[in-house]
Amino acid sequence: MSSTVIFPAQPEQILKGLGKLWTGLGHEEKQQGKPTVLRACAMTLVVATDEDDGGFAASQLIPQLMHGHPCRGIVLAVSKTAEHDVEARVMAQCWKPFGKAQQICCEQIEIVAHPESWPNVGPTLAGLTVADLPVVFWCRHKGALSVHATPEQKAGLQVVLDLSTKVIVDTAGEDPMSAFELVMRLHQNGRAVADLEWARLTFWRQPIAQIFDNPMRTNKFSNFHTVEIEHEGAQPTPMALYAAGWFSGFHKAKVKFRSCQGFCPGLHSIRLISDEETIQFERTGPEIMRLFSTNGRERVYSHSEESLYALLNEELSIVGSDPCFDVAFNRAQELLIGQ
Amino acid sequence: MYQENWPDTYFWPYHQTRTMSVIVQPVTEANLLQDPLRFDRHVPPCAIVIFGASGDLSKRKLLPSLYRLFYERRISQSFAVVGSSRTPMSDDQFRDKMKESVSKFLEDAPFDEDVWKSFAQCLFYVAGDMSNPESYEAIREKLDEVEQSHQTAGNVLFYLSTQPSFYAEAVKALGAHNLTKGRGWRRVIIEKPFGHDLQSARKLNEEIHQVLDESNVYRIDHYLGKETVQNILAFRFGNGIFEPLWNRRYVDFIQITAAESIGVEGRGAYYQEAGALRDMIQNHLSQVMATVAMEPPTVFDANNVRDERAKLLRAVRIMKPEEVEKYAVSGQYGPAKVGGQDLLGFRQEPSVDPNAQTDTYAAVTFFIDNWRWAGVPIYIRTGKRMPKRVTDIAIQFHAPPLGLFSQETKSGLREARPNLLVLRIQPEEGISLRFLSKSPGSGMRLRPVSMDFNYGSSFGERSPTAYETLLVDAMTGDPTLYTRQDMVDASWQIVQPILDSWANTKFDFPNYDAGSWGPKASEEMLARQGHVWRIP
Repeated sequence: MSSTVIFPAQPEQILKGLGKLWTGLGHEEKQQGKPTVLRACAMTLVVATDEDDGGFAASQLIPQLMHGHPCRGIVLAVSKTAEHDVEARVMAQCWKPFGKAQQICCEQIEIVAHPESWPNVGPTLAGLTVADLPVVFWCRHKGALSVHATPEQKAGLQVVLDLSTKVIVDTAGEDPMSAFELVMRLHQNGRAVADLEWARLTFWRQPIAQIFDNPMRTNKFSNFHTVEIEHEGAQPTPMALYAAGWFSGFHKAKVKFRSCQGFCPGLHSIRLISDEETIQFERTGPEIMRLFSTNGRERVYSHSEESLYALLNEELSIVGSDPCFDVAFNRAQELLIGQ
Repeated sequence: MYQENWPDTYFWPYHQTRTMSVIVQPVTEANLLQDPLRFDRHVPPCAIVIFGASGDLSKRKLLPSLYRLFYERRISQSFAVVGSSRTPMSDDQFRDKMKESVSKFLEDAPFDEDVWKSFAQCLFYVAGDMSNPESYEAIREKLDEVEQSHQTAGNVLFYLSTQPSFYAEAVKALGAHNLTKGRGWRRVIIEKPFGHDLQSARKLNEEIHQVLDESNVYRIDHYLGKETVQNILAFRFGNGIFEPLWNRRYVDFIQITAAESIGVEGRGAYYQEAGALRDMIQNHLSQVMATVAMEPPTVFDANNVRDERAKLLRAVRIMKPEEVEKYAVSGQYGPAKVGGQDLLGFRQEPSVDPNAQTDTYAAVTFFIDNWRWAGVPIYIRTGKRMPKRVTDIAIQFHAPPLGLFSQETKSGLREARPNLLVLRIQPEEGISLRFLSKSPGSGMRLRPVSMDFNYGSSFGERSPTAYETLLVDAMTGDPTLYTRQDMVDASWQIVQPILDSWANTKFDFPNYDAGSWGPKASEEMLARQGHVWRIP
């Protein structure tokens, strides 16, 4: 359910449109004899996209995220085809949780801005963020994040950053040097920064960490002198560097990277080597992962590529700083820069 | 798979040498790779021995919970389950049987064949009678075996999911066969009922303590593992605005309701001996009462939280025999037709004595003799075959001191309805606050409205089941949500006078129809205090 285009996109007009939408939904529900709609809010989630972001359907993803993170979703689409400099539309999406009579609705605001007008959306956004709650900014606008961003893009990005308590980017497929520079650049004024490449590693890191829960292995942690990381592409990806940074950030291990042959999106394997034992966690099929050690124990995991939903769900659970990421990032940066 | 001379091996970043060394922090014995913000709680390696492994609880709750924890990678990789019961079975037969149960009883979760295969490798079975010493030797051998093969580090969690009459015997036997000592920790989970009355509970405690230290005894009360019961603590002590109102100055009374729409469902023989007071109020609901009414702990840890719960239970006024009739009501459902369906009365249920004096309904008024709650009645009711399944806690506040907006009606002055805060445990978990609002239009006509927070739909994600939560707690050595000896003792003390009195009373049962909210005497009990039961 969505309203018509709101122009000029002034916060008051947008909020009025949102209010009308909720009243309408409540009325509709009442007429159908259903329980009234519900809304809860834990944060404002701002998603900036550009024209190249064609496949991304924010309007579908935000309601999914609402299950775990009730929020006001604001999609900021920067588009040359925008009819006005800045225009807005409000919408609500409702769904009924399985087995429940009462439905949940989530509100979403779409702001379409012409590239030249992007720097002017600051006041609009400032009037739309939910009071007293964190503002998380997921930037999918590649151009603005690039070192070659135009002055308008830089200024536009800055107005959103100024409002944000946390910013989320995705460095998948990026050159590690520019990816890490970006993370450093965003990590200013105490703002939390998250990289979805790091979140993709959680599935790898947790089972490996669990291995060292066993006191027998915890005490032998320092014996694992080498970590080998097999990754896609000719050069280590940011994800491979994060993995190396995480493991070697704590202990004296040699780091070796290998380029994977054949189909191996992201990482293919992580091997931890000591004189007594080798532990390997590897992707053995598109949805199967195998963890085994040379002492014979083996465990199989079912795992498909993390969806954007899963990654965002994880990141939105961490609103403050992320010390483990900070350690891994610093070490990964050292690995990259120190050579 | 891995080739030592991999052709594309190279070393990053852009370096001539084949390896690089990294400056490091000193290694400690803590697992530095843990990431508490993103990983689930650290669960140490361990073996779980389930006595009564072919029973209903194992099939419906324990194994599905363990599988789910395994699926979500929330338990250690160094993990094994040793099931034990009298039924002769091989490891593979046990695995097949459990596979069937897990796939059937898994709640809100997918069953994955590949993950099951990996999980099944952690399942073992030892057939044996609990009264036969050889069974324990066989279990010990199996534990030694899995300690090597699955690296369980010598940690063992024993789960007594057997007939309660076996608890003491099983613990003694574990001690006698040195199974309660070993290289790692040894803990024992004991299912309810913990004793049949105060005396038997104390005796059981004594017998258990001859073998185990209290810190290794985990008495499970699955109610405390429910997300929404835990949320009561978050609601009370995570917010600053409610606690100032949480006392006799502002609260008029509290009602705790745990109603079931079903009857005894084939458990007639068991239920006949237990009854509603023992089955629900002595354990689950007294613990819920303690959670709602306890003082804030100074630190949120197991001992502080349990100290406060125990202190609250000890402050509950013990009824004198002559007070039981005034403050407690027993009921038993009779046959009725509900929705066109004939429902049996309790005495007509299979395996039930046709003259049974069992309470299928119990309502009790408790008073807590401390400064916070003095004079505030806490009404607890529970029953089978009630109109619907619901568990909630209602806190009714005093009405405003002056009825500014009271309305004249034909029958006289109508008081404004006081505020009501309802903490819903099941099925629609959440919190609602009833307050008065002006009706639209001219004049100051007020009407009650409800401000509602629905736990399930505000957080649409799946919550862990109570057993998942409690199993992880036991494995990690966190007994916060388990009941301690003094809590069990105190909760038996508050119901014992009622049990004694009812045991010597011949009730004119049945006294309520299936599908109703209980006997009339229950309404009268509240009416004497000027209160009425709410309809949940």
